[in-house]
Amino acid sequence: MDLYGLVELAHNSALSEWMRTSLKAVAIINAVHVLSIATVFGTIFFVDLRLLGYPNVQRSFSRLHHALVRWTWAAFALSVVSGVLLFMVNALTYYRNTAFWLKMATIVIAGVNMLIFERFTFRSVANWDQAVLPPPAARLAGALSIVLWVSVIFLGRWIGFTKGYDFSIPEDVQFDFSLPSE
Amino acid sequence: MFEFAEWLGATPLSVAIQSRLWLTPLLQSIHIVMIGVVFVSILNVALRVMGRIRTDEPLVEVWHRFAPWFWSSLGVMAGTGLVLAIGEPVREVSAMSFWVKMSLIAVGVVSALFFGRTVMAAAGHEEAPPTMAARVVAVATIFLWLAIIFLGRWIAYDVEIWESWHLG
Repeated sequence: MDLYGLVELAHNSALSEWMRTSLKAVAIINAVHVLSIATVFGTIFFVDLRLLGYPNVQRSFSRLHHALVRWTWAAFALSVVSGVLLFMVNALTYYRNTAFWLKMATIVIAGVNMLIFERFTFRSVANWDQAVLPPPAARLAGALSIVLWVSVIFLGRWIGFTKGYDFSIPEDVQFDFSLPSE
Repeated sequence: MFEFAEWLGATPLSVAIQSRLWLTPLLQSIHIVMIGVVFVSILNVALRVMGRIRTDEPLVEVWHRFAPWFWSSLGVMAGTGLVLAIGEPVREVSAMSFWVKMSLIAVGVVSALFFGRTVMAAAGHEEAPPTMAARVVAVATIFLWLAIIFLGRWIAYDVEIWESWHLG
């Protein structure tokens, strides 16, 4: 089965149908999604700030990282589950939405950035753990991470305004940058 | 209130906001980014009060670490929120979620001010292990801000959530 077939299957599933007809399901899942993505960003933000050497604290990088990382992953898991559910509600619309695909691509890039950091830069953490200013590679990872996760949030919000679903847009307004429908 | 909202919605300022269609998603995005900073600041302080993290650091230092982020991000959210509300005043005043959210924010801000004063007054004294009451207040504070975030998102779904309680 190709990707479109899978998307169609998700769109037409009983769960999607239930979410579409239930009054409160989408509102609740949507709120969970906003909360969890904000928590992902917030926890990552404070770790990234430490990578950038700000603020000037005595707290080692690995201790700060350790305190926050479980919250990041828990919130990320919650945002994936709520995100998949939201996607299923309107799978065929999202499938054609450019902002949606840009958001997914940005999450992947953010993941790669994190993976490179964990695999290479973090290996030498013992050398710079207490340093006020971590090495350039760590600072770059931190800066990229902030930019990428802010982009994920922006693109996510943009989906809501380009999918023609939960916000009414005046008809004469050119606001849609989704792909032409098939 | 509805008359005021209708008047506000027709003012040149509101019309200017409404006509710039990129402005609403832009401000909403900034608003969500700031939710992350505010909520995680609250979470860190609350978990510290509960004795779950940063126990090697005095409470007042944890407060000084996060309070500036909490207040400044909250300030940005007040700004973006105000512009969003001026852009869609009728939508806001008819949403029960909006009014409950504003009331809970008032509770959150007053309790944060009170908490900050208490912590700073107690700075330098020996810290006792967290009492049950302190833990309960910390958990309640986390849930308070969770409720604020939920209600914010629910302004767009006010009829679905509140049904006949919707004020429109």
